[in-house]
Amino acid sequence: MSEALLSVHDLSVVFSGDDGPRTLIDDLSFDLGKGEILGLVGESGSGKSLTCRSLVRLMPSPKLKITAGTVMLDGRDLTQVSEADIRSVRGRDIGMIFQNPTSHLDPLMRIGDQIAEGVRVHRGVDGKEARAVALDILAQVGFTHPARQYNGYPHEFSGGMRQRAMIGVALSCDPRILIADEPTTALDVTIQAQILRLLMDLRESRGLSVIMITHDLGIVAQTCDRIAVLRQGRLLEIGDKRDVLGQPQHPYTQNLIASHPSMPARQTTPVVMHDQTSTKARPLIEIDDLHVRFPVTGRALFGGGPREFSAVKGVSLQVMPGETVGIVGESGSGKSTLARALLGLAPISEGHVAFDGADIVTERTKALRKLRHETAMVFQDPYNALNPRLTIGAMLAEVLAVQESVPKERIHERIGELLDLVGLEREFADRKPLSMSGGQCQRAGIARALAVNPKLIVADECVAALDVTIQAQIVDLFRDLKKRLNLTLLFIAHDLAIVRSLCERVVVMYHGEIVEEGATAKVFAAPREAYTRALIGAIPDIDPDKPLLPPKGGEEFDDETSGLVTGEAS
Amino acid sequence: MHRYKFVLYRPLQFLPVLLGISIITFVLVRLIPGDPARVLLGTKSTPAAIAAIRAQYGLDQPIWLQYFYFLQNLAHGEMGKSILYKIDVLRLITTRIEPTLALVLSAVLLSLVIAVPLASLAARSNGGPADHAVRFISTFGIGFPPFWLALMLIIFFSVRLDLFPVSGYGESLADKLYHLILPSLTIALSLSTVLIRSLRTAMIAELKGDIATAARARGMPESIVFWRHVMPNSLVPTVNLLAVNIGWLIGGTVVVESVFALPGMGQLLVRAIFSRDYMVVQGVAMVFACATVLVNFVADIVTVAIDPRVKQ
Repeated sequence: MSEALLSVHDLSVVFSGDDGPRTLIDDLSFDLGKGEILGLVGESGSGKSLTCRSLVRLMPSPKLKITAGTVMLDGRDLTQVSEADIRSVRGRDIGMIFQNPTSHLDPLMRIGDQIAEGVRVHRGVDGKEARAVALDILAQVGFTHPARQYNGYPHEFSGGMRQRAMIGVALSCDPRILIADEPTTALDVTIQAQILRLLMDLRESRGLSVIMITHDLGIVAQTCDRIAVLRQGRLLEIGDKRDVLGQPQHPYTQNLIASHPSMPARQTTPVVMHDQTSTKARPLIEIDDLHVRFPVTGRALFGGGPREFSAVKGVSLQVMPGETVGIVGESGSGKSTLARALLGLAPISEGHVAFDGADIVTERTKALRKLRHETAMVFQDPYNALNPRLTIGAMLAEVLAVQESVPKERIHERIGELLDLVGLEREFADRKPLSMSGGQCQRAGIARALAVNPKLIVADECVAALDVTIQAQIVDLFRDLKKRLNLTLLFIAHDLAIVRSLCERVVVMYHGEIVEEGATAKVFAAPREAYTRALIGAIPDIDPDKPLLPPKGGEEFDDETSGLVTGEAS
Repeated sequence: MHRYKFVLYRPLQFLPVLLGISIITFVLVRLIPGDPARVLLGTKSTPAAIAAIRAQYGLDQPIWLQYFYFLQNLAHGEMGKSILYKIDVLRLITTRIEPTLALVLSAVLLSLVIAVPLASLAARSNGGPADHAVRFISTFGIGFPPFWLALMLIIFFSVRLDLFPVSGYGESLADKLYHLILPSLTIALSLSTVLIRSLRTAMIAELKGDIATAARARGMPESIVFWRHVMPNSLVPTVNLLAVNIGWLIGGTVVVESVFALPGMGQLLVRAIFSRDYMVVQGVAMVFACATVLVNFVADIVTVAIDPRVKQ
């Protein structure tokens, strides 16, 4: 490491709540070198975001105070400088980008103007000159038609382009240090790879130092020089990424690494490819040339344009009882719509869907009755999917009562069994979701699904919102349940590594169509389609020597780079 | 510019709305108990005279035929004759529309002038003394009914201090504005409390929100954070609230015009109701309805102009 540009020493942050002070950052020290990318790793609540906010004294709440320590930049202690001075440090010396560009960009302002605003304030230029600088920045962050895209509003761009715009806004102040707070967590894996590459390019071209906050060790392995592991506001270890990933000193770090889905230990050898007797068995799910089209709303009364949007275009798929099938694809690929159509929750425009022999189109009433009694869904956000006013026990009792599968006097006992199954203490029957962690809520969500006694569980991105170690636990739970209950599992995810570790068969969707399908091991080892290759190549591997995206990755998917998603602004 | 296309075709949708409104008001007005002919003739009424008046104004016809004649007249730019004033209702309304329009416009402007600075002050000192003061005032404002407020303003400013006229409407422009100050202040005080609450809540959320955080993270001074980012984003939800309230306020002018003796449509409406002047009630109700539709249309245009995400 070259000499330190920014030096944090014994930093402590205390939250003074109603029930006494709590130390959220505890004696934290680290250095950031010039041109270095430092990864701050930890789970939610580890204090990694708060640490970075503290560097520029941008506290999320007035109850948070820096109580000790120094943050040295150019011989000045940022914890002591005046309010006006720290403001000139923000943006100008230390810029920030955030996880969610949609909420952090001003929706009412043209993206070019948002960049020009920083140029005007920090570089003291105005009007035409600021616009010229902004156009240059747009080009640097990967906008192909800066002059036209300058006038676009954030909602007119895709998620990846919005993140590029936000990086552009940060660059408008010409900072030396960039804090990137989970910059790719909300993005698809191929877009994530593009954004990570952009950040690395900017480091090269501008000599930018970057603090990368992330929960994904794969990202750290691929982009960072050094890693700092945080837990409960303490620094557990810090060092060169190869040292930390190769010989982790702290047990927590070892666990974190072992939880990463790309670790060999976590990959199932293809569990008996549904033994060939299954050729005789009837498939549980039969989807035949399914089309799902939605009417396009917001069309002008007399306007032209397409009347319908095709979310699923001619998908055929069979799933055998007891099989675990992963459906992967980027946002907008139609994977959730496919699952919803299968459960009778989305309109079927054309084609046929049958569940256990009952056709949803021709025998709708019968098929729906069957579906409601034999299938269940697990959702992405466990907090939103559970009624906050019901205890877990009451919620399960409700399902059991409606299903009438167990006699009334057995309901209490059954609730206990369900909680045992998903690995929750029986006391959780009396708890409400808000007093539980994300992982515990998701277990409760799975218990609710199991209460139906389903043949089929559809899990829609059900681990996407969880920390890695929790993700690993939930995936293990599914693996265990599958074995014990002979469940059929349809696992929808954008995270290929998880699908790889859990599913026997994988279906790759792109723009509403299945582009590739087959045994997981086979598809991952030798993908036939360029799109699948690009998708797999974009997964950040925890091994730093397996680089992100092969030098000549699959074809460029130019949806993202062509700019305005809504087409030509007139 | 395709986002503004609705400005062209939306008025077509107004036609059925207005037709519906006209039918409802036409029927409802005739459900008011009492006979206009009897009111007109007063104590001198004889059965023969009443029958003559009823025939003269078409009141002896079945109601659907009356409505048909009404539409026929409307097509010729007439709304029928006022029983009381003996002139066409449309002409009568045009002479009365100016004070009401001026009252509504000045009240809305005044309420914005009161609400925006106070809400900004309160939001920026969230929880501080200024915030408490503004919330105290706005809670009081909601508690006081306009007619009471109007009387208090008259007693204090006109009777005690002799600063403003007690009632009436002036001749010259300056004189008219002078007469409008207290009536529009009455309305503005009620209206601004609603606006302050909405704006203050939105601003506090925006000040703590991601957009403001991102702006501060790039070193923007608090003035830019507030005026360029927080303010526009807080105004979006308030525009529609304002539109709904203007619709309500147009009806509310009835009370204020009566208290201040402003010769506007509200006053006209009250008199017309007392004298069972069907045609006038009908006409004024139609104009009020059209104004409400129009205000919401304008609010839609403003929303589209402020917020690029909105498509009508």
